[in-house]
Amino acid sequence: MSCVENPLSPCAMTGACAVLSGFKGLAVVVHGSSGCYYYPKALLKTPLYSTFLLESEIVLGTVDRLKEVVSGLEKTGKPVAVVNTCVPALTGEDLSKAFAAVTLPSGTEASGAVFVDAPGYIGDAAAGAAAAYKALDIRINPEIRGVNIDGVLSLDLFARGNLHEAERLLSLMHIPAAVRFASDTYAHLMSGVAPFTVSVNPSWDAGVGTYLGSFLFPELKKTAEALEKQFPGAVFDVFYEELSRADEQMFYYADKYLRKYAPPRAAVTSGRGYCEFADKMLRRYFGSDAALQLPREEITDYTVICEKLQEYKPDLLLGSSFEAAAVREIPCAFVGMTHPDRSRISMSASAVSGIEGGISFMERCINALIDVKKGM
Amino acid sequence: MPENISERIPEQLSEKRLGGCTLGGAIAVTSFISDAVTVVHAPKGCAHQVFSMLHALVEEASLPLLPPLLSSDMSDREVIFGGEEALSLALDKAAAKNPALIITVSSCVTETIGDDSEKVCRAHPAADKIITLPTAGFLGGRAEDGENTALLALATLAEKCVPLPKTAAIIGEKNLETEVEENYAEVERLLSRLGISVTLRFCRNIQAAEIGKLGEASFFIIRDERVFPAGAAVAKRFDRPYVAEFPRGLSGCVTFLRDAGHCARIPEEGIERAVRDEEAYQKQMLEPFEEMRGSSVYLGAQLMEGTFDAAREAMERLGIREAPDGIPLKLPFYLPVGVSGMMKMLYLWRRRIRG
Repeated sequence: MSCVENPLSPCAMTGACAVLSGFKGLAVVVHGSSGCYYYPKALLKTPLYSTFLLESEIVLGTVDRLKEVVSGLEKTGKPVAVVNTCVPALTGEDLSKAFAAVTLPSGTEASGAVFVDAPGYIGDAAAGAAAAYKALDIRINPEIRGVNIDGVLSLDLFARGNLHEAERLLSLMHIPAAVRFASDTYAHLMSGVAPFTVSVNPSWDAGVGTYLGSFLFPELKKTAEALEKQFPGAVFDVFYEELSRADEQMFYYADKYLRKYAPPRAAVTSGRGYCEFADKMLRRYFGSDAALQLPREEITDYTVICEKLQEYKPDLLLGSSFEAAAVREIPCAFVGMTHPDRSRISMSASAVSGIEGGISFMERCINALIDVKKGM
Repeated sequence: MPENISERIPEQLSEKRLGGCTLGGAIAVTSFISDAVTVVHAPKGCAHQVFSMLHALVEEASLPLLPPLLSSDMSDREVIFGGEEALSLALDKAAAKNPALIITVSSCVTETIGDDSEKVCRAHPAADKIITLPTAGFLGGRAEDGENTALLALATLAEKCVPLPKTAAIIGEKNLETEVEENYAEVERLLSRLGISVTLRFCRNIQAAEIGKLGEASFFIIRDERVFPAGAAVAKRFDRPYVAEFPRGLSGCVTFLRDAGHCARIPEEGIERAVRDEEAYQKQMLEPFEEMRGSSVYLGAQLMEGTFDAAREAMERLGIREAPDGIPLKLPFYLPVGVSGMMKMLYLWRRRIRG
């Protein structure tokens, strides 16, 4: 039993919505009140529907209302996914009556809708994302030649940029990109996924297929070697050349920084994958000491995070606007790494993953640090 | 049991469905008491949703950080065995911060499993500084119900006393709207024409002890119909007049001046002088939009009742025609408050008309 102060992690329902709404062509319904619906709707900026439950429907049963909304969507021909929220999950209704049955190739009847029980009390967004992937019942097709791209979730500030960069790198290697988790079409997902997977952000992995590694810069070489083994006909020369050039470029600018300033003392608050990435990058290029890592998977109490940051006194903070507010009183450069980043308007597809993601990360760190040093 | 839902007209049903959750409404009030701690008896995701939203708004308005929201962090375990112990622990943690006030709000989960939050709060050693709001998440109504519940409960902390002349207290500002400070500035601008000062923004950036000033105000200004039930009840309790809403658009400013002037017992000639000054000011403020005179426009959907009226009034003043084949214009999401609210809308229109 715990008590959390200003918790920083969205609930399971939000995580489930992020996964399901990432697959275009799937109509995602939040089975809950408008109060539950508005948050994922505003955060994810993806199409979402809701039953907008009323108190009276909880008393009388919510099946009719769910049926009304689901059947309306089914008429459009779209497959439907339902994300169940706290109260209807607690009342234990048999919601399967709300969906039209479909006949499987085996001849047995099954629900035509994807159903995810993701009440907030089962955990945070990661628990909901895992429940959604489980409900999608993803099948591997060994015949598919290509690599799935995992860890692309709209809860990640860099999801779009990471995806573009991963596609670009696979294209350089002449390896087809298979299914993108979770940024693809539902039809593509259902047609089967490739046996191999790489990730752009391991914190949000679906975990489908044989994992060949991450596309985060410090792991890129190892991942490319794993890909070489599985795809003997692929082309890696251009990729390695680019990787090497990027490495040199980052050393060049870090050296330039280090001629004037001491290595940054960094704190990172994000998913574990990005925390480890940032720590490795800063150690490699700046020779920094190990960063203070506060992964969201372990710590979501804002007050505890604030206390740790104030005690550590970083001069570079990689995290969200929540943490940025906590170090407002000390001279500290801030780089947005996780939701929300309100330090800047962000419309373009920035990446953290891949070669360009690595360069972009270092560029943002150095610029933010220099701005603070210059008192801007 | 509520009334038969099938007998309600669809619009009412729709409005009720879309009204959000009481938690958000209540916390949007309680979080703006800087020395209070709000305990959210719910899964932590509920507290995160509201904290995240409020954090965004205070960041945007460059306000200091809000006081903590403590979540009882209800998990599977509490759902099965009951969450009263978790609430009690959260109250311990809140009390350890020695706040002026501890406010508890309940969620749909606690309501469904039948936790007796009130009993837990009464039995707690810090009971004398705890206010329990039986919000019950969406099972207790909409966001505005949460706001009204919070405002009414907090108003009981104020005693009736002798009103200070030419003072007003504002009740129920929309802490969740991005333009809250701009709207307040507009109200303050109008009140200054009458020599009236605002003694309390109930509840916006105040300390718990300041709630006592509620009884000192010679009249109240209720933000809008959303919080009218709480505003009118507070006015009745203190036996003071009130202005029912912030100024709607241009003529709303004049109406507001007259209503506020009468509430504050300003002599009639003083009110009329203020009205004349305001009319001259509005004329001057509309000058940059004169280039739209003669334009033909088509107004889009009205998202907030009253927006059409405010927009059409501005169109009439500026000689803008309404026609089905006119340039399509968007109406604002919120009812524009005063002249500054109208100008924000007109800037967007002018951009559209300039093409």
